[in-house]
Amino acid sequence: MPFQNPILWIHEEALGSRNPARLAWSNAPALFVFDTQWIEDAGISRKRLGFLYECALDCSVTLRKGDVAAEVIRFAERHQADGIVTSRPVDPRLERIAAQIESQCPLERLEPEPFVRLPRPPRLGRFSRYWREAEPVVWEGF
Amino acid sequence: MVLPLPPVTPLPWPEQPGDLPRDLADRDALDQLLASEFPSAQGPLSRIQGGRQAAESQLQRMDAKRYGRSRNHLKGAVTRLSPWIRHGVLTLAEIREVVFAQLRDRGQGRDDGGKLINELGWRDFWQRMWSDLGDSIHESQEELKTGHDPASYSRELPDDVREGRTGLACMDGFRDDLVSSGWLHNHARMWMAAYLVHWRRVHWKAGADWFLEHLLDGDPASNHLSWQWVASSFSHKPYFFNRGNLERYSDGKYCKSCPSADTCPFEGSYDQLESQLFAPQPAIRDVPSRRRNNNSRGSASAAFARPKR
Repeated sequence: MPFQNPILWIHEEALGSRNPARLAWSNAPALFVFDTQWIEDAGISRKRLGFLYECALDCSVTLRKGDVAAEVIRFAERHQADGIVTSRPVDPRLERIAAQIESQCPLERLEPEPFVRLPRPPRLGRFSRYWREAEPVVWEGF
Repeated sequence: MVLPLPPVTPLPWPEQPGDLPRDLADRDALDQLLASEFPSAQGPLSRIQGGRQAAESQLQRMDAKRYGRSRNHLKGAVTRLSPWIRHGVLTLAEIREVVFAQLRDRGQGRDDGGKLINELGWRDFWQRMWSDLGDSIHESQEELKTGHDPASYSRELPDDVREGRTGLACMDGFRDDLVSSGWLHNHARMWMAAYLVHWRRVHWKAGADWFLEHLLDGDPASNHLSWQWVASSFSHKPYFFNRGNLERYSDGKYCKSCPSADTCPFEGSYDQLESQLFAPQPAIRDVPSRRRNNNSRGSASAAFARPKR
């Protein structure tokens, strides 16, 4: 059942106009949260936060700080949302947050635009293996 | 040129107490706000600005052909797009299209854009590896091939490195760039990683975590696995360099004024440095012949860049 009134969780891998959640729901209220625990634990410098802040200002989002999952749930309640939409994160830390959110509210993860669409998952391990499969497909677009 | 903060339009939904401000006067106001809201986060803002306008401005400078020819040089035509790519302001697909359009517009072909497309492939590869490996990117992927006990590597970053007072103009210069701008050329990242891991015997994780404190593109997958490639826990042999290599690709800018020029720890041939840095073992000795020369100053070539098989 598709959402009728979702909010968007915008995270730090998708602070751009091609965020699939934003493309799907251009008018939905959106939130970005600075993860204070991560910032303290990883000793993140202010210049990194400044860069993120400037990127987020471009995205028409409410900005908060604190526990990300709790803030996203609170934002969903604030907007009486029936679900939350986000772009699928790669970072396992963000995925853990997504799972926390999902335990309390329906969450849809939309796939970001891929660099290359491969017919089957490539062999990884070393770049050369991956690139042997991916490079010809990338250049098909040229 | 310093851009103003991205233009902010009012949100169509009401603000609530605890929302962080969006209508800041300028970057100084942003700097002050962050200092007050995130007291643990040290150091001022970078001159590199976030947001779409800054990203597009940088993207317009991209020159695929020149990138391919000069990317190994610190002054080379590297794209510097990594901070915006990391945070999804620019997508790899979007940049791929811009590269293709540039090649077509300039009557250039695949050979002219191959290196840059390859580099975009590297970013995609690291992300796929991260999806695959998850949190284990924080752990050594393989045994070290340096011949040294993993426990012999310090888990702490030395203070002189963190504070930029090693007395080596190159390393102190890279540290200053890292801390002030949050961006380093890939070659500088590799030199610094090799110095820390092989010359200072610091565990790659200590260096990798330090980089993530500062790099605006701080991508754990690309960063940690590249550090591991240098260390040899994600490659078949450790990466190291010599003075000739660093001098060539930095146009000698550090060596000219280095207070340690006469006692440079990077001076020597690859053979000399190899026997100095690593305990003998087949995996290291079995290197291509181009790394073997007896030139006391050393060759300007090094096992560069990325894992190859």
